[in-house]
Amino acid sequence: MTIVIKTKNLCRYFGDNEETMVKAADQVNIEIEKGEFTAIIGPSGSGKTTVLHLMGGLDNPTSGEVELSGKNIAKMSGGELCDLRRDHIGFIFQSYNLIPVLSAEENIEYIMLLQGVKASERKKRVKEMLELVGLSGLEDRRPGKLSGGQQQRVAIARAMASRPDIILADEPTANLDSKTGIALLDVMKELNEKHDMTFVFSTHDEKIMSRASRLIHMRDGKVELDERK
Amino acid sequence: MLLIKLAFRNIFRQRRRSLLTALSLTGGYVLSVFSISMQDGSYANAIAFFTEDHSGHIQIHKDDYLDRAKIHKTIDNPNDVAAILDKHPSIATYTTRVFAPALSYSDNGNTPVQVIGVDVLREKQTSRLYQKITGGNYFADRPNDDGYFSAMIGAGVANSLDVGLGDELILISQGADGSIANDIFIISAVIGENNSPDKNTVFLPLSGAQSFLTMYGKVHQFSILLTDIADARDVASELQTSIPGLSVAPWQIVENSFYKTMQADREGNLVMLIIIGIIVFIGVLNTVLMSVLERSREFGVLKAMGSRPSKIVSMITLEVTMLSAMSIVLGLALAIPITYWFSTAGIELPEPVDVGGIKMSHMTGLLTPIVFIVPMIGIFFAAIVVSIFPGLRAANVTPTAAMRSH
Ligand SMILES: Nc1ncnc2c1ncn2[C@@H]1O[C@H](COP(=O)(O)OP(=O)(O)OP(=O)(O)O)[C@@H](O)[C@H]1O
Ligand SMILES: [Mg+2]
Repeated sequence: MTIVIKTKNLCRYFGDNEETMVKAADQVNIEIEKGEFTAIIGPSGSGKTTVLHLMGGLDNPTSGEVELSGKNIAKMSGGELCDLRRDHIGFIFQSYNLIPVLSAEENIEYIMLLQGVKASERKKRVKEMLELVGLSGLEDRRPGKLSGGQQQRVAIARAMASRPDIILADEPTANLDSKTGIALLDVMKELNEKHDMTFVFSTHDEKIMSRASRLIHMRDGKVELDERK
Repeated sequence: MLLIKLAFRNIFRQRRRSLLTALSLTGGYVLSVFSISMQDGSYANAIAFFTEDHSGHIQIHKDDYLDRAKIHKTIDNPNDVAAILDKHPSIATYTTRVFAPALSYSDNGNTPVQVIGVDVLREKQTSRLYQKITGGNYFADRPNDDGYFSAMIGAGVANSLDVGLGDELILISQGADGSIANDIFIISAVIGENNSPDKNTVFLPLSGAQSFLTMYGKVHQFSILLTDIADARDVASELQTSIPGLSVAPWQIVENSFYKTMQADREGNLVMLIIIGIIVFIGVLNTVLMSVLERSREFGVLKAMGSRPSKIVSMITLEVTMLSAMSIVLGLALAIPITYWFSTAGIELPEPVDVGGIKMSHMTGLLTPIVFIVPMIGIFFAAIVVSIFPGLRAANVTPTAAMRSH
């Protein structure tokens, strides 16, 4: 099995005062294998977002290591880390975070532009991605003219378009009603199964977590339970 | 293409704000173009005025005659110099002159005068002497039947001596050889008015002046007009190498005090333009900063997606540059007709203004590409400078903050 992300004794503390310090991540050891569909669950404040950010190189750990495809990201320069995120990690955010002035198709195209993918290839992939997430026909709409569920589909297409090794999603369905949320998760699940895309997402929602193939339970910054179904 | 579209749409996101910013840029641009055009225009007029009136574009003298005029500092071989000038393609025309202070007498009094001997034919083509005649006729270069040369006198001389056309004028001076020079001349014309700069001048035909001052065949000055005044410095230095024994000076040196005043005035104007620029750009900086802060979440997302900070800075720079470009297009649409109008029709001033010592009552602007290009470069340069700080702000947004909010 290929290991995509591996954390070693990962810690992230907030605040420098001993008494008030929060251990948002505390000795976290997780290995994510290629093709897994993992949910990180736990109560509010348990450290889910913190761990996802550390995995994606958005935040620096207090101690411990993150390895992405065998490379220690702590040893990378700022520029290398940017390129690493661009080429190897896809992000999906709770509040979609599409660029409001770009259409659905342009939002998807943008990251490929950063990667230097040539125009014809970009057009091809945009079309393909929109089909995958079931949004064909809405390519010219700006985010403001799309529903929350549709926007999050665009976000998934955007994350997929750069052909990352892994997609990290922090509560991707939290802003959606449960029916839309489940439909969206089904899209992700399908991409996981058909395209062997690795997903790690956090959630509070029981119905959502039931669709994951692996559940990592967190509490107070620690991994409490790691169960594969 | 997508990047340009993105920049363009970001500009149009806050229509009202971008419009106000663009208008202030446009206003600053038009104002700068106008002020440069009017200033350079009035200087060009002033320069044309005195160079065509008397000084010419280039002058040639012996040694330091220009600074310390002495009658013995003469150009002894004017024909050799003339041969060189005749061959130079940039020279339109030239003339020769001699100068000497003298005392003038009539039956009714005496007054000190400046005597200028001029080449009768060439002077007409090189200066405005002919046009300045207010009474009588332009002189001939030959003595009359009684052996007297004609003289044209400034209105001030005519007044002081209470003489008129056809009257005799006696001049006394020192000849180039140190002898006493004195001669009788017949007044053929009066030059200018009582307040003209020439009011105390007596113009003599060159040969008359030369024999009066016993400096046969010699002159003090060559005054040259070029086909294009802009070549003055270049042609002067070329001539200097072909005539090493004499001193060749472009108008900038001949009219040194005017030139210095003009340069100082230009610097003053530049300071004013820079102040206009700063005021405009503080406004632009403010709007750009505002729009960057509003969009910090987007920049965080872009960074999370792997945009390098330099990409984000250049994105902001592109936006500001495009906004500036649009403002300049609008600015040109306004500035070209305005400048055109002021350069052709000009404005009549109720009171004459002093332009480097020359009184001008009609001001016209200058219509050259420079007038439009200089402020344009200024605006683009400033746009880039102005976008750097907000750009860095945007580039330094931490992506975690963007992802956490909501
Ligand atoms: N920038 C920060 N400064 C200080 N404390 C922080 C910061 N970010 C997170 N924390 C703290 O770290 C702990 C873990 O936060 P985190 O956001 O990872 O939890 P979470 O499991 O994602 O919670 P939720 O379900 O509410 O999103 C919390 O106690 C939080 O207050
Ligand atoms: Mg969270």
